[in-house]
Amino acid sequence: MTHHAKKTANMSFSDEVTSRHGGETLTSCYQCGTCASSCPVARLDSSFNPREIIKLSLLGEKEEVLSGDAIWLCCSCFNCQERCPQNVEIADLIYALRNIALEAGHSPNIYSDFASALIAEGRIVQISKFVEKKREEYGLPPLKPVGVEALNKILSATGFTKPEKTEATK
Amino acid sequence: MKSYAIFLGCTIPARQPNYELSARKTLAKLGVKLVDLDNFTCCCPPPIQSINLESSQAVAAYNICLAEEAGLDIVALCNGCFESLAMANAALKKDKKLKAHINEILAEVGKEFKGTIEVKHFLQVLMDDIGLEKIKEKVVKPLSSLKVAPFYGCHSLRPSKLLQLDDPERPTIFENLLEALGAESVEYRDKLKCCGGLLKGISDDTALSLARDKLVKTTKAGADCISTLCPFCFVALDIGQLQVKSKFSEVYDMPILHYSELIALALGVDPEELALRSHKIKADTVLEKIA
Amino acid sequence: MEQPKIGVFLSDCGKQLSEILDFDALTSFVKTVPNVTLIARGSEFWRGKGLQTIIDSIKDKKINRVVVAESLTKISDVNIAQAVEDAGLNSYLVEVIDLKDHCAWPHQKTPKEATEKAKAMLLAAIERAKLLEPIEKLEFPALKSALIIGGGIAGMQAAVDLTDLGFEVNLIEKAPFLGGLAARAGRFFPTDDCAICIQPPFSDVKTITHTSRKCVYRSGFSEIPNLNILTNSKVVAVEGVPGNYKVTIEKKPRYVDADKCVACDKCVSVCPVETPDEYNANLNNRKAIYINVPTVHPQVYVIDEDACKFHDCAKCVKVCPTNAIDLDQKPEQVTLNVGSIVVATGFREFDSSAIKEYHYDDYPDVITNLELARMIDGFGPTGGAIVRPSDGKPAKKIVFIQCAGSRDKRYNPYCSGICCMISLKNASLIKEANPDTEVSICYIDIRTTGREHEYYYERAREMGIKFVKGRPTEIYADEEKGKLIVDVEDALLKRFLDLEADLVVLATAMVPAEGTAELAEILGLDLEADGFFKEYNAKLRPTETKQRGIFLCGGATFPKDAPTASLHAHSAAMKATKFLTSGKIVKDQRTAVINEDYCGDCEFCPVTCPYGAISLEPTTEDHFVARVNDLLCEGCGVCVGTCPLNAIELRNSRPNQMEAQMKALMSVNGTSKPLVLAICCQECGHTAVDSAGMAKMQYPANVRVMKVPCAGIVRVNQIFEAFKAGAQGVMVVGCKTDGCHYEVGSDQAEKKMDLAKVLLKEYGIEPERLEMFKMVFIEGNQFAEAAQMMTERVTKLGPLKLMGGS
Repeated sequence: MTHHAKKTANMSFSDEVTSRHGGETLTSCYQCGTCASSCPVARLDSSFNPREIIKLSLLGEKEEVLSGDAIWLCCSCFNCQERCPQNVEIADLIYALRNIALEAGHSPNIYSDFASALIAEGRIVQISKFVEKKREEYGLPPLKPVGVEALNKILSATGFTKPEKTEATK
Repeated sequence: MKSYAIFLGCTIPARQPNYELSARKTLAKLGVKLVDLDNFTCCCPPPIQSINLESSQAVAAYNICLAEEAGLDIVALCNGCFESLAMANAALKKDKKLKAHINEILAEVGKEFKGTIEVKHFLQVLMDDIGLEKIKEKVVKPLSSLKVAPFYGCHSLRPSKLLQLDDPERPTIFENLLEALGAESVEYRDKLKCCGGLLKGISDDTALSLARDKLVKTTKAGADCISTLCPFCFVALDIGQLQVKSKFSEVYDMPILHYSELIALALGVDPEELALRSHKIKADTVLEKIA
Repeated sequence: MEQPKIGVFLSDCGKQLSEILDFDALTSFVKTVPNVTLIARGSEFWRGKGLQTIIDSIKDKKINRVVVAESLTKISDVNIAQAVEDAGLNSYLVEVIDLKDHCAWPHQKTPKEATEKAKAMLLAAIERAKLLEPIEKLEFPALKSALIIGGGIAGMQAAVDLTDLGFEVNLIEKAPFLGGLAARAGRFFPTDDCAICIQPPFSDVKTITHTSRKCVYRSGFSEIPNLNILTNSKVVAVEGVPGNYKVTIEKKPRYVDADKCVACDKCVSVCPVETPDEYNANLNNRKAIYINVPTVHPQVYVIDEDACKFHDCAKCVKVCPTNAIDLDQKPEQVTLNVGSIVVATGFREFDSSAIKEYHYDDYPDVITNLELARMIDGFGPTGGAIVRPSDGKPAKKIVFIQCAGSRDKRYNPYCSGICCMISLKNASLIKEANPDTEVSICYIDIRTTGREHEYYYERAREMGIKFVKGRPTEIYADEEKGKLIVDVEDALLKRFLDLEADLVVLATAMVPAEGTAELAEILGLDLEADGFFKEYNAKLRPTETKQRGIFLCGGATFPKDAPTASLHAHSAAMKATKFLTSGKIVKDQRTAVINEDYCGDCEFCPVTCPYGAISLEPTTEDHFVARVNDLLCEGCGVCVGTCPLNAIELRNSRPNQMEAQMKALMSVNGTSKPLVLAICCQECGHTAVDSAGMAKMQYPANVRVMKVPCAGIVRVNQIFEAFKAGAQGVMVVGCKTDGCHYEVGSDQAEKKMDLAKVLLKEYGIEPERLEMFKMVFIEGNQFAEAAQMMTERVTKLGPLKLMGGS
């Protein structure tokens, strides 16, 4: 169990979310739906609705929220958070839900790639030799070393869990 | 000459050296000195925040510490880097408890966040340090009546409480900067809506629909090109245009240019020096219009 | 001063107490105390034969101080005080203590210890009684006149009530016409009839019927003989004290003589200037000389000095048949002397321009409910037609958006309470007159809580008004369609709607009237966090303030509907009359007194006093002293606790009296535990001790209770005195933060105790020996627990070691 999971084992799902970074404002929501109509994704994909995700979380539907596809469909545009009349940090909340989901083993495979690159090289996208050569051609200064060691120490100190790839791609 | 620590992030060095190129040339012409610091890492944008928000905030704070130690403010070129670093900077400056908590973590790598520097977006450096008047003065090839649809992207403006770049509902900084170059800034519907960039690889359909929406609306408004502030938005609309053509059988021929590329052109930089060939949608029509 | 001769009267409450406390031992003990000249035992002393004993002892000059151990002291001491006064002794030379609720019952399991504590309590009462001083009653004259600030329906209603009772009333209104929001709203729920109506004055001789109401304009309101109406006027300064306020008013020039104007409208017909009519929400233009609508009061025209060309034109002057227009009128300052002030300044609509995504500032077809009301009003700019302001075409699709700026942490976090009803009313009126108009209401919650209000919601649904549960994110203009689009999710359907609208009506938040903050400053009143005037007590005294002579009514304290505003007005008027009827204010001089030699003009006390009772006055040598106003002083002692130079004392709670009590309470232990002193405020703290005893909650007898007017009186050095006197621990018990009966005392005390803890540490005393508690009367269990907890804590800490021995 991660150190987060240990702490929250006996909490209600709602309390578990509000105890996480980003999830603190969950319970202010009064389901007005401003976030839903602000959301560019919700209009295009009916499986994603931020108001619904919050409602399910408040009602304690942990399994449905964490194992579902919905929470991965947010495009992090922050329009909902900007317009929310109760200052619910909706986009941050979705990060918190993803954090919990990931620790429980749910996540799209692409995140595993990001994490691997980050841990190995301190960047989420690898810099290929081709690109390094192009930089030289353009007259750009060579890239400075990346603080990979410090980065990894910080990841470790904050319980960063590398997501594993799953069979079924999401 | 004001100096900044330039924060390149990951996407720009990996996929958009043209953005970096035009930005460096522009800032040099305008008298801003850029310093490349050692040990910057990924800023930990939304994909990493999705894995662990706390880790991301701590890594962002780590990067800010490097700049604090060098006594330099940071200029970020990518919206994602700007948001990640500026949000962390603002949050830690405001919330003492959070700062103490993050500093406990940073102590493990021998760093301490003090809150002594600012994190600025490329646009802010142009606006605050140089100013519209000086930019206008330095323009040698005004982008005569080039109709540009400005696209802020999401993370330059929101969440506005922490980023404080401009009015999140009615921003004008980008439009003013375009007009200072002699270009005509074009209003179009839903201009502040997301490009869908972060959904690539998760829900390509939605991502493409959002990119297409931008292309449709800017075309309807009569724009000659779209100008971006963020490498993700650039890719979503540039390469994205080919994918839109493929999926929807629609051709837009809408060149996408970073603001730094436009300003470089206006300041007289030779187009050949700007790696415009790396754009998937060629910028030839734009170059013709401003010749 | 004559020698104190103390009579001690011990009541055993029908032998209840003597079963627990050893009264013989108590009597013997009291006998040994000097200056006690009489000891009596009995069943009760607060009434009947017992009370007579006290009276006779006073009359026979056997005693000149009275100490009574009685039960239910907060009731019994009133009787005793009155009887003592009647017997010819000043009622403040009495000390009543409670051996039942404060001793016998909470310590009934340890009767021996209880008896020892009772000895200490009696000694404390006796020592305090020795030092008591007589306190006189003061009389202050009060003018039998009132000023009402604000001429809306609440202010007018209060004016009718007060003039009916014979008082002189001045009604001042900042606009040129009376009526406030009501005049513009047209119709009010729940009756859907005219808004601008009031209970008529009884002084209307012609109609001495029981008629329930009359429109203002035919109620004879303006002709009430003892009512002085000043429109176009503002309060700029208030000086004085309750009963005697001197109010300075600035009258803006009307440029039209009220005694001559016959309201013929000729001036309007020749005026060449047109300017947007803000009364009609700029939906039309008016002239520079104007009257709002034909039904207003006063029926006297007014010139808009920002629009008028004055002598460059003067066409109106030439055409006026009665020469009523005077373009050279100047602003006037008027001074009024009144006994009381009633604030009825009301509220206004929030400026929704702040909600940029709703485009109130740049789309003309986005309007507010009040602006819609102007259109619905037959006297309004469109003659009752509902149109699109942008092009004047009929509005056939109307969308209401509720909570525009209400329940919104970015703007106004509260619910404004009346907007659901206003929208339902307006929507229904529109639908009734135009059944083919499509009306939708977007809401977060529909709140129809008052009597008859649910019916409005039912009727609206029956009329085919559509309800969308969702708060729209944005309004945008579809130029092609020529319509506005309201972007909203219907949460019940989980469906996105793009509602087409000719007109979007924002049910905006209601915020305090313009100028509220300035007026609060002028009157010395507090505002709540929401910006409205603070009620003295929201539960019990919503129309009063901490200033004795200033009252509140109507929407000035929070948005409210007409029935509530009326209630409020009647309440404020009644409260104001209590004040005005006798022509004087009688008050005890249990007030603060300043030792001018010690006063260092530091300005702490005038700033801290919640009642503004302390002023700094210059003396001859370029020096200031603080002076207390006996009428304004409420006797809390917060100033005493604030003064860094010990220059202030509170009569009847003087430091020497408090010190004597402390020493006496600590002089007898009789338990195996360390002594703990509990300093309790007389409002909540001391009553919590009462309730612990009443419920027979047990706590240890080493806890000794001392009463003070307010926890704010406690000085840091007194904490040290308590330890020196023998306390091993000190509790300070006050009211809860938002419930301090003297506004700030409890919080001030808390701050001081935090400071005291720091100092204690410096002196080598464990800061945990001192603790502040906040509780209310019914939390007696909390007092018992706190007493138990403190006892255990100081027992664990061991005996106190004061620096330098002792």
